[in-house]
Amino acid sequence: MNYPVWDVAFGAGLLIALVAILHVFVSHFAVGGGLFLVLTERKARHKNDAELLDWLKRHTRFFVLVTVVFGAVSGVGIWFTIGLISPVATSNLIHAYVWGWAIEWIFFFLEITAALLYMYGWDKLEPRLHQWYGWIYFIAAFASMVIINGIITFMLTSGSWPKNYEFWKGFFNPTYFPSLAFRFAIALALAGIYALITTSVQKDSALKTRIVRWSAWWIVPSLAALPLLARWYIHRIPPDVWASASGSAPTPTLYAGMAVFLLIVTFVLALLSLIRPGRIHLAFSLLVALVALGAMGSFEFVRESIRKPYVISNYLYANSLYAKQIQGDGGFNVDAVNSAGILQTAKWIKVRELTAADQATVGREIFRVECESCHTANSYRGLRHYLALRKWDENKIQAMIGGLEFMHNGIMPPFAGTDQERAALAAYVSSIYPVAATAPVAADGKTVFMQNCSMCHRVNASDALFKNLPKDANTASEAMKDLTSLFPLMPDLKLTEQQRMALAQWVNAQRTAHGIEAPMEGGN
Amino acid sequence: MMQPNLIPVLDPNPLPAPYWVFVSLLIITFVLHIVAMNFMLGGAVVALMAKWRAKNRVLGNRVFFDVAKKLPSLLPATITIGVAPLLFVQVLYGRFIYTSSVIMAWPWFLVLIFLTVAYYGFYYVSFRSGQHPGRAGTVMLSSVILIFIIGFLFSNNLTLSQTPSRWGAKYFADPSGWNLNLSEPTLIPRFLHFFVAAVALGGLFLVFVALANWKRDHEYARQVLQFGGKSFLYATMAQFAVGIWFLISLPRGMRMLFMGDSPLATALFLVGLTGGVAAIVLMSGALRNENLRVAAYLVPGIVAVVIACMSVMRDLLRDAYLNPWFNPGQIAEKTQWSVFPLFLVLFVSGVILWLVMLARYGFFGSRKESAQ
Repeated sequence: MNYPVWDVAFGAGLLIALVAILHVFVSHFAVGGGLFLVLTERKARHKNDAELLDWLKRHTRFFVLVTVVFGAVSGVGIWFTIGLISPVATSNLIHAYVWGWAIEWIFFFLEITAALLYMYGWDKLEPRLHQWYGWIYFIAAFASMVIINGIITFMLTSGSWPKNYEFWKGFFNPTYFPSLAFRFAIALALAGIYALITTSVQKDSALKTRIVRWSAWWIVPSLAALPLLARWYIHRIPPDVWASASGSAPTPTLYAGMAVFLLIVTFVLALLSLIRPGRIHLAFSLLVALVALGAMGSFEFVRESIRKPYVISNYLYANSLYAKQIQGDGGFNVDAVNSAGILQTAKWIKVRELTAADQATVGREIFRVECESCHTANSYRGLRHYLALRKWDENKIQAMIGGLEFMHNGIMPPFAGTDQERAALAAYVSSIYPVAATAPVAADGKTVFMQNCSMCHRVNASDALFKNLPKDANTASEAMKDLTSLFPLMPDLKLTEQQRMALAQWVNAQRTAHGIEAPMEGGN
Repeated sequence: MMQPNLIPVLDPNPLPAPYWVFVSLLIITFVLHIVAMNFMLGGAVVALMAKWRAKNRVLGNRVFFDVAKKLPSLLPATITIGVAPLLFVQVLYGRFIYTSSVIMAWPWFLVLIFLTVAYYGFYYVSFRSGQHPGRAGTVMLSSVILIFIIGFLFSNNLTLSQTPSRWGAKYFADPSGWNLNLSEPTLIPRFLHFFVAAVALGGLFLVFVALANWKRDHEYARQVLQFGGKSFLYATMAQFAVGIWFLISLPRGMRMLFMGDSPLATALFLVGLTGGVAAIVLMSGALRNENLRVAAYLVPGIVAVVIACMSVMRDLLRDAYLNPWFNPGQIAEKTQWSVFPLFLVLFVSGVILWLVMLARYGFFGSRKESAQ
């Protein structure tokens, strides 16, 4: 709202995901592949393996075409894209870490130069010197990963930075080292996976066999190490943050599952390639790469989505509002916007006056500045999809918007603005998937729970609903008449008598099924 | 009239080094970026002219492939060096450049696609040869057109970034990012100013190709010198017309900066003009007398001074445009002493290592030949 919001109909989040995932899949190859080049060259020269050297020369050209061209442009592409989609976060990252970026740029420059000299030097340089360029390439590429990793992990676990703003405190944050080890293992595995591609188009089956076996040494141990490294990584993520990926929030949980599944598939495929290494086919090697891309993309999705509601943890929300008031925030923090109103605070908003006649129009503007960094109306993370599942009318939407920060393990920032603005946003959101207030409501307990409660509550013993709702259905139903009196932050949902009874009975059934103890009669 | 409150507030983080450090880094890295860009784009344009326009077709083809082989190195040089001014411009002018970028988001995003395609095009051409040209000419032309468009989009964005009065109307008319800055009077002359400079530098690049071949293949080198030198001459002459157009298109207050209102801007302008005239006179003499030293050392030296002056002028012009909204004195500074010195040490070490890499490869003389 300090900056204009780029209105991407199919979803700004999808665009950055696309650019970023393709980039990381190449940039990790750029690191691991560099080590692969020099070590393979050393091995080939040591064994006097002319065919292997000849293949490696062609592989180098492939490596440069993929990493130096696509890798470098898509890396700049991430900058372009995050600057377009999240200028406030980008500006913060640039200002806080400009010397980090500048140091990374030095390594980037050395890396690109060394890669080109290594490629062009195959027929021109004596072997030792040629490998010298290879080593410089790898060291520079690894060093740039060392730097970027600090900034990426800072966004997830900012450590004590939001308190002291010290460069190194944010840089060497809790997930720095596990993330570096994890990413380096991925980089080594990708070196072998990409090598399968150029190997598969060779004709000499003996050579193919040698390269596939050599590549397996890069892929198999690295992938086998990933679960251990992931454990270490997860251990350093605050448990309440990681909870999003272990059931509390659907998106990160789904992608965590996919990451594990696709990692296993990649591992199995890599082992399968060893059965008949001399006959490895291009289609097979591309399949391995595609599955690995899926695994890596899923991992990045998990990291990005558990970071929500923040874009920089404990500092800046995904919708560019500062979590707390800080000096120089221009009033773009939740408390300030709650008192001044979003229409008066946001710079890039067309309509600043709210009337009864243009509720939905103004609501659309509020949606653009507060929600569009993650959501669309009908496409990526589209509200139509969620509303179709929940069947909320305008009143319920308005009530629910008041508690966004409690939904799905707090994966969304709170709504910031006045009550009138919340009503306007609800009017717009409701227009995406209109449900009349008089529409018949679901009356079976499970549906009532899924449509009204599952955003914040989960079936487990520590959940307030399952822990505290009275066991007797009549008492429970009576208690749920006025939800805000149960807990002031609950939305005032106005469930029907039939719905409340059904919900209470369903809760009891779940307690029985999951061995959850109900409170003593009369408890709450 | 714009709503005055559209200018984003400053980033809450202070500048992590003094303002002048960033200004210096921005200008220095911009000069290096623009030189690499000029060699790349201008070299490609001149190579195409050689292929299609040179009277001697054999010579034209040879020049074409000689330059084409260098483009896959010049384009990454342009991009890699360009990352630095992109970084520093965000540090100083992020409020303006992010906003203008969002307003023309889709064209700005397309830069990435065009760049990738143009890049692969250059590689395609570089893997071809005179014996097997394939579609080298057409592919090269396509890449050049794409880079031409990228340059045009950069001109759009940078002019839009320094004219906030246009922002509101454009954004609110189309927040989906399909905007350009076509109504800006300086847009076309400014863009042409850069493009014509690129062609001139492309000509100079051929002079360097002549220098590299002077002893090995004297006859070829002589012809390349003539072709490159003339390209430089004609482009630089054209630059005077384009430059005057650009100057006239500037708002009067800005124009007068270079015509007496600002002693520094005026002095730089005069040095630039004098340098341009001197380069033309010296190059035409060098071509007449086949004086390679003047063409390959003295003229490029003068051109380097001219580019440096022009880059500082460009910076002064931007500050003049942004004067109502941008006051460096308001930006808080807090130098990150825990990391800034590390950058300086690594920067110097990096430059040394880079030079050693080039030297060991043989860029500055003898090359270690393969023992294979």
